[in-house]
Amino acid sequence: MTPLAPYLPIAAVLGVAGVLAVAISAIATFLGPKRFDPVKFDTFECGNEPIGSARQRFAVKFYVVALLFIVFDVEAVFLYPWAVNFKALGWFGYMEMVVFAATVVVGLIYVWKKGALELES
Amino acid sequence: MNIPSLTFLDFQPVLPALLLAVGGIVLLLTEVFQSAATINRAYQSMVALAFSAVAGAVAAATTLEPAREVFLGFGVSDPFSGAVTVLVCVGLGLSVLVSAGFLRHRNAERGEFYALLLFAGAGMSLLAMSNEFITLFINLEVMSVSTYALSAWLRRGTRPSEAGFKYFILGAFSAAILVYGASLLYGATGTTKLSELAGLLPAAVASNPGLTYLGAGLVAVGLAFKVAAVPFHMWTPDVYEGAPTPVSALMSAGVKATAFASLVRVFLPFAQDLGPNHAQLMTYAFAALALLTMVVGNLMALPQRNVKRMLAYSSVAHAGYLLLGVAALFARPTGGEGPLAVTPLLAGAEGAARQQTLQAILFYLLAYTVTSLGSFGALAALERREDEPRGTAWDLEKFAGLSQRKPGWALAMAAMMLSLGGIPPTVGFMGKLFIFRAAVDAGLVWLAVAGVLASAAGVYYYLRVVVYMYMRPSQDGVTVPERQWTTELALVLSTAAVVLLGVAPGTLSAWLGKASVLFSQ
Amino acid sequence: MIPLTHHLILAAVLFCIGMAGVLVRRNALVVFMSIELMLNAANLTFLAFARDRADAAGHASAFFIIAVAAAEAAIGLAIVISVFRSRGTINMDELRTLRN
Repeated sequence: MTPLAPYLPIAAVLGVAGVLAVAISAIATFLGPKRFDPVKFDTFECGNEPIGSARQRFAVKFYVVALLFIVFDVEAVFLYPWAVNFKALGWFGYMEMVVFAATVVVGLIYVWKKGALELES
Repeated sequence: MNIPSLTFLDFQPVLPALLLAVGGIVLLLTEVFQSAATINRAYQSMVALAFSAVAGAVAAATTLEPAREVFLGFGVSDPFSGAVTVLVCVGLGLSVLVSAGFLRHRNAERGEFYALLLFAGAGMSLLAMSNEFITLFINLEVMSVSTYALSAWLRRGTRPSEAGFKYFILGAFSAAILVYGASLLYGATGTTKLSELAGLLPAAVASNPGLTYLGAGLVAVGLAFKVAAVPFHMWTPDVYEGAPTPVSALMSAGVKATAFASLVRVFLPFAQDLGPNHAQLMTYAFAALALLTMVVGNLMALPQRNVKRMLAYSSVAHAGYLLLGVAALFARPTGGEGPLAVTPLLAGAEGAARQQTLQAILFYLLAYTVTSLGSFGALAALERREDEPRGTAWDLEKFAGLSQRKPGWALAMAAMMLSLGGIPPTVGFMGKLFIFRAAVDAGLVWLAVAGVLASAAGVYYYLRVVVYMYMRPSQDGVTVPERQWTTELALVLSTAAVVLLGVAPGTLSAWLGKASVLFSQ
Repeated sequence: MIPLTHHLILAAVLFCIGMAGVLVRRNALVVFMSIELMLNAANLTFLAFARDRADAAGHASAFFIIAVAAAEAAIGLAIVISVFRSRGTINMDELRTLRN
């Protein structure tokens, strides 16, 4: 069982969490008072009145921004190993990174000129 | 720490791909920097054509240089990859010509379209050179991601987006299978470089057979999806039908050719370094795949009355003939007994036989590239955009009486159909001749016979198009779109290539013979 | 230290779940997530072997696979949106304009 030993704390946490969750729900169900009225069925019992449904569709332009973020974000991953070895890689590594960054910038210029970054149009 | 050092010699072989990528960037930026009011897009196809032509010329000029490793063994530059790059550029150029007229007719011409075509071309060229699994995966994806976007390019109706979606799902699925297979092979051998893999395979098979076989099998399945081999072909007809016709043409030519190139590059070490038993196993595996692909492709194409769908199934069938060549490549040539496990590639009689088989594959790829682009080009010239949403644009009836209405188009289409059917005097006939001869020489007589029978069945549905064009009266009120000179130029070029190479294949075939050299340790 | 086989089995299970998801589920986004799961199974396998051998090449592979997966996600979601715009559903069973 030694290979499984590192998992033991996780198993313990899982166990405790499970027992606690079941116990709290059970106690609330059995001991808690049950009163149903319109106020109870509100989304927020004490707070602002909700306006409209939460299941509206969002404008698709947010999706474009989110996607662009992901793409440029992941490109940054490649900068990290280079930055760590900056000295060792020297000028050659620097030039490679300039070329890499230039291609990313071309993408940025394209996206910018295309108007994909403007949320209000 | 080990600092990599690269020289000009590393960059020189990727020059064609770099040119294509730069061309794509130029097109992207000029598209967005023009003001919307005064934009003129007539130059875009010419720029794309020029970049493909220059890239093809550079590749052709350096094809026959000696094979060597580049980028620390992550890639190789050998005559084979050079020839495939030339082929890609030919396909790209013809596809750009067809696209220009096609897009103008639909008011859908944008710089991004040509940029994506060129990016796909760059990915294809680099894929042919990739000699390491992750490099291969990245280039495969550069090619695929561009073609996903291209196949959903048109916005009219539901077909293009559905085609793009199906292509994307199955393409991404196959790529994931491929990369998981590569990770298992990395586990079994400790390397992702194909050149190191060759030496490490025997030990890996001995110590870790399960991991090695499973990894190799998954990589094979991933590539089989890309070449549209049965039973991994389900996406082909739908995607080819829904994608813009010039894009279908490029998919059937460039994507398929480069996927075959990497299939050969990845699996030759398995046939070559693991001894006769494994070579035989691989021969049978690929022979079975070839048989299934030829038979199913042709049978499914038979009842199609939609010509675009018929061409899609025909492209599956042609993948079968190419797989026949691949099986022959892995087979031991007849009479070559003895301890062949240590024979290095391209040495002695076996090497010569392999070179000949590789030559047959390259010639077939070239033949199929020009023929496929020509046939999709003729289809693109004929299809009316108002029929596309209903899917009647590619009905066989549209070809009825074409010889009277548009004799030139009919002649080009007839040449393409004869070539696809493998009837002389066309390049398709020579291609089939070389492939079947290679299969017979490799001892796969039964498979060659099956191939001939399957292609005889294929003749029926290719000739049906010719019969419709020349012997049926044209329907009343059927008009054809206006002429586009670029499309017609593509038709003239591909028809000339199909006939000339069918009559006199000598020079080109000799050049491809010299280019049939793979890098080996 | 968790042994290599545990990582490999986890990766294999993830890969199989992903593959089953692609083949069984009909919602385009779920299918797409399943494909991402398969790619990450490959990543995990690369990393597990790389750690086992202390080999940097395997670690680097994971970076590239992540980057490619992001590019794939960008184009894939764009295509899913264009499917949704053209027919108002992303149920794969309803994509049947193109068929024999």
